[in-house]
Formats: sequence, C-alpha cells, structure tokens
Amino acid sequence: MSREPGAASTPIVLRPRPAWWERVDRSAPVWVLAAAALVLLILLPLAWLVYMSVQSERGGFTLAQYARVFADPRLQKALWNTVVLAFWSGIVAVAIGAPMAWLTARTDLPWSRAIRSLVLASFVTPPFLGAFAWVMLAGPNAGYLNKLYRGLTGAEEPLLNIFTMTGLIFVVAIYTFPYVYIMIANTLGLIASDLEEAAAILGAHRLQVALTVTLPMVLPAILSGFILAVLQALALFGSPAILALPAGFHTITTQVWALFQYPPKVEMAAACSVPLLLSTALLLLAQKKLLGRRGYASVGGKGAQRRVIPLGAWRYPALAGCLAVLACAVFLPYGILARAAFSRAWAEPLTWDNFTLANWSFTFLHSATQSAIVNTLELGVLTACVGAGLAALLAYVTTRKLVVGHQVLAFLTLAPVVIPGIVLAVALFIAYTRPPFLLYGTLWILFIAYLTKEMPVGYSQSDATFRGIHPELEEAGRILGAGRLRVLGEITAPLARSGIIATWCFIFIGVIRELSASIILFTPNTKVMSVVIFDLKEEGQFGAIAVLGLFMLLMTFVVVALMQSLLGRDVMGARSSSAAG
Amino acid sequence: MGLHKRYGDVGAVSGLDLRVEAGELVALLGPSGCGKTTTLRLVAGFLTPEAGEIWVGDRCLSSPSAVIPPERRRMAMIFQSYALWPHMTVDQNVAYGLRFTGTARADRERRVRDILRAVQLEGYGARYPGELSGGQQQRVAVARALVVEPEILLLDEPLSNLDANLREEMRFEIRRLHEQFGITTLYVTHDQAEAMVISDRVAVLQHGRVAQIGSAEELFERPRTRFVAEFIGRTNLLDAVAASAGRVSAGPLRLRVAGGDLSPGARVVISIRPHQIELGLEGEPAPDTSLNVIGGTVLRASFLGDSVDYQVKLADSDVVLRVAGPTPPRARAGERVSLRIPAAACIPLPDDEAPRDLRR
Repeated sequence: MSREPGAASTPIVLRPRPAWWERVDRSAPVWVLAAAALVLLILLPLAWLVYMSVQSERGGFTLAQYARVFADPRLQKALWNTVVLAFWSGIVAVAIGAPMAWLTARTDLPWSRAIRSLVLASFVTPPFLGAFAWVMLAGPNAGYLNKLYRGLTGAEEPLLNIFTMTGLIFVVAIYTFPYVYIMIANTLGLIASDLEEAAAILGAHRLQVALTVTLPMVLPAILSGFILAVLQALALFGSPAILALPAGFHTITTQVWALFQYPPKVEMAAACSVPLLLSTALLLLAQKKLLGRRGYASVGGKGAQRRVIPLGAWRYPALAGCLAVLACAVFLPYGILARAAFSRAWAEPLTWDNFTLANWSFTFLHSATQSAIVNTLELGVLTACVGAGLAALLAYVTTRKLVVGHQVLAFLTLAPVVIPGIVLAVALFIAYTRPPFLLYGTLWILFIAYLTKEMPVGYSQSDATFRGIHPELEEAGRILGAGRLRVLGEITAPLARSGIIATWCFIFIGVIRELSASIILFTPNTKVMSVVIFDLKEEGQFGAIAVLGLFMLLMTFVVVALMQSLLGRDVMGARSSSAAG
Repeated sequence: MGLHKRYGDVGAVSGLDLRVEAGELVALLGPSGCGKTTTLRLVAGFLTPEAGEIWVGDRCLSSPSAVIPPERRRMAMIFQSYALWPHMTVDQNVAYGLRFTGTARADRERRVRDILRAVQLEGYGARYPGELSGGQQQRVAVARALVVEPEILLLDEPLSNLDANLREEMRFEIRRLHEQFGITTLYVTHDQAEAMVISDRVAVLQHGRVAQIGSAEELFERPRTRFVAEFIGRTNLLDAVAASAGRVSAGPLRLRVAGGDLSPGARVVISIRPHQIELGLEGEPAPDTSLNVIGGTVLRASFLGDSVDYQVKLADSDVVLRVAGPTPPRARAGERVSLRIPAAACIPLPDDEAPRDLRR
C-alpha cells in the first residue's frame, strides 16, 4: 500500500474532529431513543418534583412548603429520627461487617465459605420481611423470644422490645451490613500479603502491620461501606413503617408516605423529598471521592499470594460471633417465618394440632393475593426484559463509544442511584397523574418506577459485561469481512449472553421485593406482593405474610442461584447497589 | 503532509509517510507511544485520519472525508490479544472469514484443513481456543488471518504475549509463512530483534512519523538520526562540533569521522558502535595510522561469555565509552589502554534531541 504521491496535494489543515453530523448518521435513532427514554424516566419526574415543591397554590413561586417542612415540629422530629437511624445503622453495620469481612477473607476461620453464602442470603433478604420476622420474634407481648424468656424465668416484663429506635436500628443494620462486608471483603481480597510482609520484615509486629498497612488501605472501603449503609437506611421505608409507626415515631420516608394518605398533601411530600434527594446525592458524591483516592486505587493486586492469618485460640469464639450475627439476620427470621407459614397460630407450640396448610391455600387461592402475585411476576419479567435490553444497549453504546455524548448517556443512566424509592415514587406520581401521561392507576407507572430504579444496577452489570469483551474480538470479525451488525449478532451477543441474563436476574430480584416506591404508586387494582404483605400486617394475617415472604425468598434464591452459575462467581464479587425495599 | 491522527490534544500520528511495495514485509518499530499501533489501526480502517490518505494500488481507502469500513478492505489482522472467539471452535474461528469471500462450503473445509496443516495444528479443529496453549492460540490467529488470502496482512505485536523461547521460534515461523504466501504485510513491534528477523524493511517511528526506513543493516550501519542510532542496537554517543568536513572535536578529543560533508562549526552527535572499537594495550603500536587512537583507563570489564564489555574512561575527559571486545579479557579495571576506532565507524548525526513539542 502506499499513499499516492501526486494525489490530493492540496494543503491539509489539521481539523479537530469530524463534525458531529458526519459521525452520527445511522446511530442517531438509537441515541435519540435512548436519550428520550432516559428523559422520560428520570428528568421529567424530577423536574416535576422540584417544580411542585416550589409552586404556590395560585401558581407562583414559593418556598412556603419548605418553610412548613422545616418549621413543623413533627417533621423536624422525623428528620432528626432519620439522621439518628441512618448514622447508627451505618455504625452498627460497620461494626458487624468489617470484622466479618476480615475474618472470612484473611483468616483460617472455619466454614468461611458458608458464612459468605449466608451473608449473601442476608443481602438478598427484603429488609421489610426481616422486620416482620423480628416483630414475631421480639414484639413485647407475643414475641417468640420474649415468650421463651418469660417461660424460662417467670418474669413479667419482656426481654426485648423491637418497637423502639434501638430495635429499628438493629433490624436495619443486620440487613445493611452486607454492603459494608462486600466493600471490605473485596478490597481485602485485592491486597497482596507481600505488602504486609514488607512491613513485617522491616520489624513491625502483627498489630503494627494491621494498623499501619492494612487498615489505611481498607479505610476508604470502610468509609464507603459506611456511606452505602447510611444511604440504605436513609432510603428505607419498610422497616421504619413496620417498627417505628407502632412505636409512635416517624422517619422522613414514613412521613412522606403519611403525607400521601388521605387527604394527600403532594406539595408537602415533594418539599420533604427534595432534601432527602440532595442528601443521598451528596453522600454518593462523597463515596465516589473516597473510592477515587489513592488508597483504593493502589490496591491493584494481580491475584498475588494472600497469606492466611491463623486465629489460634480465637477461631471458635470468632466463628460463634459470626454465627450469632447470622442467626439474627437469617436463621431466626427464616425460622419464625417457616413456623408461621405452617401454623394455625404462630405463637403456639409446634404440635400436629397446630399444623396447617391453610395459610398456603389462603394465600394462593385468595383473589387479592393471587392478583398481586400475578402483577408482581408480570412486572418482574417485563421490567427485567426491557431493563436488561435497554441496559445492554446503553452499555454497548457507551463502552464502544458509538455516539457523541456517550458520557452524558452513562451519567444519566447511573443518576437514579441517588434517588430513594419513595422520592422517585412521589416524582412519578406528580409527573404521571396529569396529561400528557396519565399512567397513575395502571401497572405502567409501577413499571416505569421499577425500570428507573433498576437502571443503575442493570447498567453497571452490563457495562462490566461489555468491558469484559475485548474490542479486538469484534475488530477481528470486522477485518475479516463481517459488518457491524453481523459482528454484534454473531460475536458480541453470544459472548455477552450470560452477562445479560445475569443483568436480567439482578433486575428481577430488585423488582419483586420493591416496596418503597410501590407503596405510593399502587392502587387497589395494581397491588404487588410487597404491598399486600404490608396490608396483611394491618389485618394481623401473619401466616399469609410468612407464606408470601417465603415464596418471595424462594424466587429470589432460585434466581440468585441461576445468576451465580451463569457468572461463575458469587454475585457479591461485583460491586452492586441492589436497592433495598 | 502525510497521515495524521490525534487523540484529544495529542497527535498520535502526525505527518507519517510510508510506501510499502507489493509482497513486502515492513515492520513498524518504535517505543510505546510512537504511534505504531495507531498507524496500523488507521490502515485497518478502525480509525478515521484527520488529515492524509491511505491508498492501496489505485484505491483510496481512507481520507478525512471517507473511510472504507474494515470489512470491505480485503485485509486480515492478527491482534496482540489474538482475539480468538472463545465461543467458536478452532475450525469455526478459522472458517469465519471465508464466509465473506464467496467460498463454497466444501472448499471452505478443505482450505481450513490446509491452513491448519500449514501452521502445524492439524487435528486441533474441534477444540475451543481456551483449550489451547498460548503458542497454539497464536497459530490459530495466524491461520484465521491467512486462510482468507488477504491482499494485506496487519500484525499488532503478535508475539508479545509469548514467553521468550516461543517468541524466538515464532519469529522464524512468521517469516517462513511470509515467504510461502508472499502477502504484503505491516508488522508492528517494539522489539528490534523481532523487527530485524522478520521484516524486509524496518520503519523506525518516533513522535508519530517515520524517523528512518530501511533494511536492518542500513539502519544499524547508517542511522540517520540520533534516535535511530540509539534505538537500533547499542551505541556510544558523543556530542561534538565539526572542525572540518571530515573531522570533529569533542572536548579535548579530535576524531576523523565517516563521510566528509560536514560544514565546520556545525553541532553533531557522533555514534560509535561498541563492537567497532578495538581495545589495545597501552604502548602497543597501532596497526594502521588512519585509525583514531585514544588513550583511556578501564573502569570495569565484565565477562559476558561470548564477549567482554568494557567501560573505558577517556584520558583528559569525563567521557566513558562502552567497548565490546573478544574473549578472553585483555585488560582489567584500572589498566590503561588505547582505543582504536576506524573513521568509518564514527558516524556523525544531526543533533535532533532538542526538546520537541509533541503537540505541534
């Protein structure tokens, strides 16, 4: 080959890049469609939310709603309760998650693989289900543990009362500590032992090594795990609604929900939501900053040797500690749910007289619960299909830099991660109860809420999938004569398949457990399982709650197992921020 | 003029001109960041040039206004990662390109079999790439590229993922296949020995343009810039000023140099290859009066098996020259020696190492 010497001898001017209209051509429709979808899903509702919060009754601009929110002593109290709950949940989550991460990642703790799996079980347990279970375990009157305690000691007073701030923090923390655990375990897994051995050979003893080398390297992970846990606690609706409301106090999320009860005060709810949205955005920004700092970046091990630290005499006490945590998060709650599902009266002793399958037939034959199960599955499948497809499309477009503005696309896709479910629901409620989009009262508004909420998780998963497919694999097809679409179909798609199915699973799990957006957006015809569970509590139908809860858990575990086998690793290996209900 | 490609502010390829003859194998050699891979990807059609054009025969493949897509260039490429599709067997990988060349099915099978035999992978057709060793994967990549009988073959550091022994073996293998098939080839590498073994000509790239192109011998014997002299083989470099057409002075040193067309007063760099310096003991009469003879002291003599590497500090100067001498060692550290350097071994080069702005 050669450059034809005589040809094109006009002076060539260096041009920056070809103008955008020369590059866009056939990918333009994709870009426009994806951008439109994101605008509809995210920007429109949020714009309505902010607009509503500053709109006065006569249509002018006002900050009166904000003034009322911050002046109202009840709302002030709710705000303060939220801060207390989030902060202490974060602290407790770190106190539980950090030692367990270190024990399972670096020491000769027995059964560490099983413990990791059980942490995963706690990770995927819907927190509101855990809260219900703990009502049955530690309610002051009928709570199973309290009955046991009274029976053993003959005392009159209950041992535990879950309907307190302490109880709430406890229940929130045992289901948010996996976020801390994942962050730290993954970081520890990347720190090569030679970094620690380098310190040891220079004369540092074990404690000094831990304090001067290991701890500073995992500190960003600890802090960012703390922030993740705080974020979860901030956005949580289910646990506070189940535990705080009977105790007579509110958090910001239950307050927003209460403002939506008849007669709805949408403007006030909007004004409550905006500060919550801003604080989650700030916290996530802080977390991003922390992870970007050198401490985390330098932890770039290439699977170097990791020495196992012997615990010696502490092996079994440490194991007992881990099992105690998991008993609170998994064994006891699952046990009481199973018991309630098969009992006439869950608080009575386990006898054959007390055994029944009536709860199951009630749940699956009763028309209200039946339609909720159908709705949930429909929404789960639909959202997972559309979401996985959209996420795959967006991730492909952004990782291969196919369109101008792909960074903006990526940003918009990840943006909903800062939106708490209940805030999203308020925003969607405002946006889609008026023309041109009258979706309230249909399943579509729930679909949009779930799609928006799951977009960041789906996108991160797909993004990792496409990053794992070396662009040269596609280029090799191109240079041998295959066009872009053919390469996409014959090379990229088969390679991305398991990753995309895993994305589907992530989204499906997120949808079937969703409560905090559903609780605002449902109507009597569009109830979903989580909402029905919440309603059944009002009727005291604990048997049915247990059945629905176990059914939900079963679906979750089946899907998780499918996902693990597809990905060939456990799902906690990837950093995910699967939303809490 | 020539080819231009920029990434943001950085000109990866800036004004590259290269002409490759039909059937020739040209290596693009240079340090990382010199633009060699970018050049290859421009040729393949994965990138659009900001200026300049790429022609094959009478077809213009790339210009800033139009780029023929990779699939219509009748080229093949071997990638650094091999880019074998893990979900296809060796047979399927190799046969893939034949689907777009209008080859009949029966014919395809035969050609896949033939090419696998040519790369010594007969009987491996049903395996998946993950079940092959690095060297075997590399040969599958070669087979996949050659089976379509491309007009032009592009190789992007295809040997850099292999271990040292295998790499050496594969160099000869690729050269043999080139001689067998005679495909016009561009070969990107940062390994000068690899470039020298494999190619007909080597283009040394620096700052996104060709610093010098020629056979390995030409580049080694007659480098035209300081960069090329340093990059190809080891050398001693002396800053000097031309005293007359054939003589330079470097500090207290006076040297007769190759050529004879220097303009007096010009600043030059003198390149002297270590193996062209003869090391004699002090007092030994020089065999030929036309040699440059310089006295010095041995700082260190290192025995390397097939040669001895001396570091000699020149008398009345801070300059230290590396000398490669035959075994056994003739002098030890601290001994005074005299160095004899033929004028033809002292190559004057323009002083091109003035700091350059990469961004233009």
